[in-house]
Amino acid sequence: MDPVVNTTRARWGSYLVAFLITALIFATALYASNYFNNQRIQDIQTTEDDISTQILSTETQFDLLQEHSCSDVSETDLAPSEMTALGSELSYLEAQGGNQAEITRLKSTYSLLEIKDYLAVQELAQKCGTKPVFILYFYSNNGDCANNCEEQGDVLTALSQQYPDLRVYSFDYNLQVGALQTLISIDNVKYDLPALVINGKTYYGFQSLTAIQKVLPQLATLQKSATSTAATSTK
Amino acid sequence: MLTGITYSLLFISLYFEVFLLVAFLERRFVRQTTQSGAISLISYPTVAIVVPCYNEEKSVSATIMSLIALDYPKDKLEILVVDDGSRDATYSVAKEFETDSRVRVFHKENGGKHTAMNFALLHTNADLIGCLDADSTVAKDGLLRVVPVFENNAVSAVTPGIHVKETRNMLQHMQNVEYRLSVFNRFMLAALGSAFITPGPFSIFRASVVRELGGWRYGHSTEDMEMALRMQSHGFLIANAPRAIVHTGIPRTLKSLFNQRVRWTYGWLRNAVDYRHMIGNRTYGNLSIIVLPCALISIGAGIYFFFRIAFELGQAVIHEIVKYEVTGVLPHFGFSFFYINTSMMWFLVWFAVALILILVGTGTFIGTGKRSLPIGTPLFVIFYSFLVPLWLGTAVVRAIFKTGVRWR
Repeated sequence: MDPVVNTTRARWGSYLVAFLITALIFATALYASNYFNNQRIQDIQTTEDDISTQILSTETQFDLLQEHSCSDVSETDLAPSEMTALGSELSYLEAQGGNQAEITRLKSTYSLLEIKDYLAVQELAQKCGTKPVFILYFYSNNGDCANNCEEQGDVLTALSQQYPDLRVYSFDYNLQVGALQTLISIDNVKYDLPALVINGKTYYGFQSLTAIQKVLPQLATLQKSATSTAATSTK
Repeated sequence: MLTGITYSLLFISLYFEVFLLVAFLERRFVRQTTQSGAISLISYPTVAIVVPCYNEEKSVSATIMSLIALDYPKDKLEILVVDDGSRDATYSVAKEFETDSRVRVFHKENGGKHTAMNFALLHTNADLIGCLDADSTVAKDGLLRVVPVFENNAVSAVTPGIHVKETRNMLQHMQNVEYRLSVFNRFMLAALGSAFITPGPFSIFRASVVRELGGWRYGHSTEDMEMALRMQSHGFLIANAPRAIVHTGIPRTLKSLFNQRVRWTYGWLRNAVDYRHMIGNRTYGNLSIIVLPCALISIGAGIYFFFRIAFELGQAVIHEIVKYEVTGVLPHFGFSFFYINTSMMWFLVWFAVALILILVGTGTFIGTGKRSLPIGTPLFVIFYSFLVPLWLGTAVVRAIFKTGVRWR
């Protein structure tokens, strides 16, 4: 019998099987995507835990400073290089979408680590007379900063690459983290983003590379072998 | 909104691929793939093969010679060459073949392919009538692979397995892969009673059915689609004989490929409008419920995905330019597993690519018996999806404004 005969009629069984298989493909794609995103989140969590441990270690060293000399604690013990990579990874993860609640939690932890690092560096400067150079960068991912925040992030990343000792602490202004909101209050940063805090003064709107170099003359004193933190968001 | 559209189109595209594959895997369809070996017929119907030509002096000889060489009883075969008002030496070149008793050469005023076919229909009483475009050649056993399918009275037309004649450049290698995919699609659509094209290269028709339907008509420069849809709308079955191998000339340049595909897509869209009563009408089974809607949606999907990818690429390029302007730093490219895109969208794209490879492989097996993919497959996968939307978009615009298209 010729297989073509009587096959014009609708094949509802095949439609259903094809639908189920296609749905299964979609489910597999969703599962695979979630699986790899969760792997990334775990990697970031591990890195955050490492950084947290290192900061705790430094803080403990401060407590012991009375018994040790400043030479036992150096600036390079703080803000390890993972911080820069972590910022970029979080930014990428956020842009990719996925589990936003988990990403927000990781960002909150990252912001806390940045603040702790910022405080530890300041404490080190106070006790040991080091002269850290840093920028506080406030951005928004709510779409109300759009191109300016994206370009500001690019400029700060380029600056970090140019001056590896420069510390750029980037914060999502809208992140509901108590310590971050306190920092915003202390520095009196208004919701006019992007905003940069440089040498205690707040600058609003996009700041070019040369403008930052002009208001931060200490950049010239930086060497090119230490670590720094990069802008976490390009938005 | 855009995400919803993207996933919906991806679902429909994947669904159609999966549906064809599921249908193929059903046992009764698999049987047809084994159409090989010696063929014998109890009786041989008379067959007329028409070669409509317009300025084909360079290629018509090979076409006629392949027909003369057909393995079929001489007294049962007619070869009707219809010169449709050529302005070159097509007529005189074809005339030289009249030394063979089976060959008759006619000349008429230019009127289009459908008029040449109807002209031939008036000059033959053969049981079966077919067409072989003057840029194509048929394998020696091609007709013997087709004719037995007509022993089933329900079958009114049979399409062949079409392969490319030459693969001299990258573009032709990519088309070669596309044709293998078409072998699978044509085979499966016929098996589902849903063929909506009877291609110019060696589609054979039951002459009585063609006469009953009123012969060939103008079909927006795609008469082979118009005839197929008309046959389907009247309930006639179109079968496929994938091992009836035809080799056809394909465009060498992007421009000629673009023009050809604009014509095909334009014709398909205009014919779809003409036969819109079939779309979604359960009377016509798989063709109306699945095939025609999916074929139409696939055109929209191709254009949509092209613009979406182009938009995202454009945005990325603009970002890099702006980044360079504000930082003076050139982009650097590094590799890290962390940054490999593992979004659901990408996994679906990979699934779609894998399915296409399976379909190309299956088409190759059905058409040639080989189990290896054509060498142009990577090129096809990477580049062709960026080329297709160019002519899809152009054809859609032209179809909306009914601009018409030219053969050349």
